[in-house]
Amino acid sequence: MSVMSIAEQPHAVSPEFTRQPLGKVGMWWFLASEIMVFGGLIGSYILSRIAAGGWVAERAHVNTRLAVINTLVLLTSSLTVVEAHAAVDAGEQKRTRMFLLCTVLLGCMFLGIKGFEYSGEIEHGLTPASGLFWSFYYTMTGLHGLHVLAGIVVNFCLFIAAGGRGWKTIQHRVEYAGLYWHFVDVVWIFLFPLLYLA
Amino acid sequence: MSADKPSVSYVTIWVWLLLLVAAGVGVLGIPVSKAVAVMLIFSVATVKAVLVIRHYMHVRQQPLMVYAMLGIPLLLAIALVLVLMPDIAFRLR
Repeated sequence: MSVMSIAEQPHAVSPEFTRQPLGKVGMWWFLASEIMVFGGLIGSYILSRIAAGGWVAERAHVNTRLAVINTLVLLTSSLTVVEAHAAVDAGEQKRTRMFLLCTVLLGCMFLGIKGFEYSGEIEHGLTPASGLFWSFYYTMTGLHGLHVLAGIVVNFCLFIAAGGRGWKTIQHRVEYAGLYWHFVDVVWIFLFPLLYLA
Repeated sequence: MSADKPSVSYVTIWVWLLLLVAAGVGVLGIPVSKAVAVMLIFSVATVKAVLVIRHYMHVRQQPLMVYAMLGIPLLLAIALVLVLMPDIAFRLR
């Protein structure tokens, strides 16, 4: 089989068709697949909750106060990551590094608070085996937490890369990492009322 | 995201997001029925999500292809709940 030249490539993957860098198209595709992952999980939770009659007693045991703090932390990290992108576009290396570091620290704070929350719940005997609500709770918040962890690793790598001489080459990567981070934030925006308020 | 200057400052959006968090939690203190409270809570959550998607992810500046890429799985996820809902409703009767 002969190797396809760029001119022969299907139009669907050519920048002329997408009008975007291919890395960005890849990120949008990834986020589309993530919508199905979290959408399926959230959909199953809603249906199971309706079928089980509301899980009012179970929901009373979650720590809403800590969840509110975590929501504020994650929303603030969305601000810092978008400011990091604005800074890298403006060619301001110091600001880019500062905002990337803030994003990493806020992500760590989110996971720390979540870990503290988990420990309190487990101490009270509320584990994934305690019932369907708790299975969903740990699965959804755990999967979301893993996404936050992945975002922390990526942003930390960018923070390191932003300290080097060729730091301007990371411009697109900061943008893609930002898109991912905002998506993780949007997922939490819906997990918060589903698990703690409604 | 593009390097275009935002129409509203990112900090202003952040302040709105914080106010909406307060509004969402505040709904719990309003003496309304459970159904109305749930509707209000999810309306507030949707507004927050739209603010992040529109102003931080800059979706407004993306080509139609991105809307299709994100919209189709979103519709499928919503359809998943809607098509299974009658089964749950009949079982509860």
